[in-house]
Amino acid sequence: MSLERHWKKIQQQVVETQIWKSIFRVGIPNTNRKRVLAMLGNVVLHLHPVKTRKSGVKMRYTWCAGGMTFFLFLTLTFTGLLLMFYYRPTIEYAYGDMLDLREQVPFGIMREMHRWGAHAMVISVWIHMFRVFMTGSYKPPREFNWNVGVVLLVLTLLLSFTGYLLPWDQLAIWAITVGSNMARATPLAGNEGPFAAQLAVNGVNLVTAGSDARFGLLGGRIVGANALLRFYVLHCVFIPLVAAFLMAVHFWRVRKDGGISGPL
Amino acid sequence: MTETGSAGVAVAENAAAAPTRRSFVNWLAVGWLAFAAGVGAFVTTMARFLFPNVLFEPPSSFKAGYPADYQVGEVDERWKEKYQIWVVRNTEMIYALITVCTHLGCIPNWLPAQNKFKCPCHGSGYYRSGINFEGPTPRPLERAAISISPDDGQIFIDKARKFLYEKGQWTDPAAFIKTT
Amino acid sequence: MNGLKSFINWLASPAIAVTLSMLSLVGAMFYKPIWTKKGGLVLFATLVGGFAFSFTDPNFRIVATMPDNVPILGMLFLVGFFFWYAMYQAHLNDARLSVGLPPLEKDDSDKKVFSWPDLVYVELVSLIICSIVLIVWSIVLKAPLEEPANPGAAPNPAKAPWYFLGLQELLVYFDPWMAGVVLPTLIIVGLMAIPYIDTNPRGNGYFSFRERKWEIVMFCFGFIILWVVLIILGTFLRGPNWNFFGPYEYWDPNKLVPLNNVSVSEIFWVKWLKTALPTFWLKRELPGILLVLFYLGALPGLLGKTLFRRFYEKMGMVRFFVGVNLFLIMFAVPIKMYLRWIFNLKYIVNIQEFSFNI
Repeated sequence: MSLERHWKKIQQQVVETQIWKSIFRVGIPNTNRKRVLAMLGNVVLHLHPVKTRKSGVKMRYTWCAGGMTFFLFLTLTFTGLLLMFYYRPTIEYAYGDMLDLREQVPFGIMREMHRWGAHAMVISVWIHMFRVFMTGSYKPPREFNWNVGVVLLVLTLLLSFTGYLLPWDQLAIWAITVGSNMARATPLAGNEGPFAAQLAVNGVNLVTAGSDARFGLLGGRIVGANALLRFYVLHCVFIPLVAAFLMAVHFWRVRKDGGISGPL
Repeated sequence: MTETGSAGVAVAENAAAAPTRRSFVNWLAVGWLAFAAGVGAFVTTMARFLFPNVLFEPPSSFKAGYPADYQVGEVDERWKEKYQIWVVRNTEMIYALITVCTHLGCIPNWLPAQNKFKCPCHGSGYYRSGINFEGPTPRPLERAAISISPDDGQIFIDKARKFLYEKGQWTDPAAFIKTT
Repeated sequence: MNGLKSFINWLASPAIAVTLSMLSLVGAMFYKPIWTKKGGLVLFATLVGGFAFSFTDPNFRIVATMPDNVPILGMLFLVGFFFWYAMYQAHLNDARLSVGLPPLEKDDSDKKVFSWPDLVYVELVSLIICSIVLIVWSIVLKAPLEEPANPGAAPNPAKAPWYFLGLQELLVYFDPWMAGVVLPTLIIVGLMAIPYIDTNPRGNGYFSFRERKWEIVMFCFGFIILWVVLIILGTFLRGPNWNFFGPYEYWDPNKLVPLNNVSVSEIFWVKWLKTALPTFWLKRELPGILLVLFYLGALPGLLGKTLFRRFYEKMGMVRFFVGVNLFLIMFAVPIKMYLRWIFNLKYIVNIQEFSFNI
């Protein structure tokens, strides 16, 4: 009994310190007023409205697939950041760093979490999209947000694709060789694409293996050092930033278009 | 008449003092066009930035030994890993096939039992000559420039100069070495 | 046992497998008993039983346990489950709608609850479960890492990441500019166009099949057949030299499959008219060009006047033509696949002069 009293007392004292009160403005949200304040006063929780449609919080309706996707994105950002401490995007070191990440680093499952998390994110994006389609949630007024979602799906696949090259193993280099060679078949802009050979001035081709879309993507004629560095930058900085921005738009529009969809 | 004349003068004076609506719109158009041109030029510069002028890629030419090193009727794979070249000798000539699949750039395998090159990525198949006959590839394999080096009589292969069958370039004297 | 396995191997030949999956998908969507709890259990038992049986086969086990194929197995069960779950709820709602009741979601869509704790805790629980699954998965299974990159030799078979295997499969039937550039662009454009083409105001915000049969069948055709089934095909049936193998067949790198290609121009001029191919490209390829023009130019109008008249009147001209063209291009994919499997047809239009092949 006295132990519990001591504990209560300590708790009381902690909660009443200036430090605690400066961080947590509202106590335990056990009244409706405090629940409102808890949602409004927290930048993360502020993503949600104070009150949500009852049908919208049910797992059977949303499957939490969108939330899962966002959570996996955060997980991947975090594990990816940890991997960046060890990984060097050069032909000499990339593969060796992969081995070291497995063998020489304590709790060497960060690469596993990153890789499997990426697979899981692709699946959860699909399931989210499937759910949104099957509930007709792309219908007015949510047309635009569906489009933002489609772009986010593409970005998810691009993130996976650019990340695929980084281990610099056989799987990586040949998947990217095939993938990037599609760019060389772009009509007009790739050197093997339709009508590209017809773009010539005085018999000199304008679109060649040294100036086409694929060259711009890889920074060279082969999947080599430049390609590895480019994909690294795209994977770690550029695409995540674009995706994060679009996610903000996506979440914002969910709110602005009337919250989680439901029967009208 | 004099009235309209004086009115006209008044308008002209007005124009000198403050811009008319039309000239304002014109200047606005010029301004926006200049802005668009500026943005366009900047985007072009950034796009050009992605295309480096100097590359550090492996050398594309090498010496491949003497013609006598190659057996008649054989597809020689000794340079495949290092330089991506098959040297093929038949009863008439020696030619150098580039080992890159013309479909999407994988490296096909030489299957002696079936007498064909077969790509593992999408199943394109080529005859020994390099001409495609199955799978999705749109065109035959490419041949590289091949010649006898004048200083030591070795075979000299230059991958930078390619010969394409569909352009009728395989009959070019630089595309093969005559052996008979 | 061996008889059964060779029968399944035969069923898994691409033309039969894709036909069967198309028929069973569309058929199943209209067959209500599957979309009940009982039906779901039967489906699940069949799937698990099928895998358990298959795992006794050494050849299947080798393919299924490749490290990068593990997520595909997970994906199959997840997509299968959620497909069933969506249809299950849709049929529950349909039954309510048919007797004049509102959908289940309506019951509490007007009520609002505080996001704290109702929503926040649901999310917290999902997040914890997700983390646990991911961590256990990462400890149990090592991430795949093959030999160091070697620009001189490609592995056999060389496969794209599994979520792109559908696209890699398309690359077998279409030239890279179609399969790698035009079709992916159209997939994205088509997905984005869905809310603007589909003007059916019903079925917004709840599961329902009855009210949007046509849309759901189309979408599931694209998603399940042209994406998921092609991934299964690419994962389990494509072996060395990108040949087709049955699920229980040994991946023999020397398997000989004759695949001599023909194109429409060869069939038309050489086989039917018994003449040499004309040298001028326009004359040579005219039959194929006319076919394509008919398919994309004339067929939409014809469909609008006959079979799809109802849609034309409801959707208006622009929506109808954009929608039907996207639909026809989506259908062109299986059509071309069948032409290849059955007739070895490679090109409908084959203008090497401009690298323009369809």
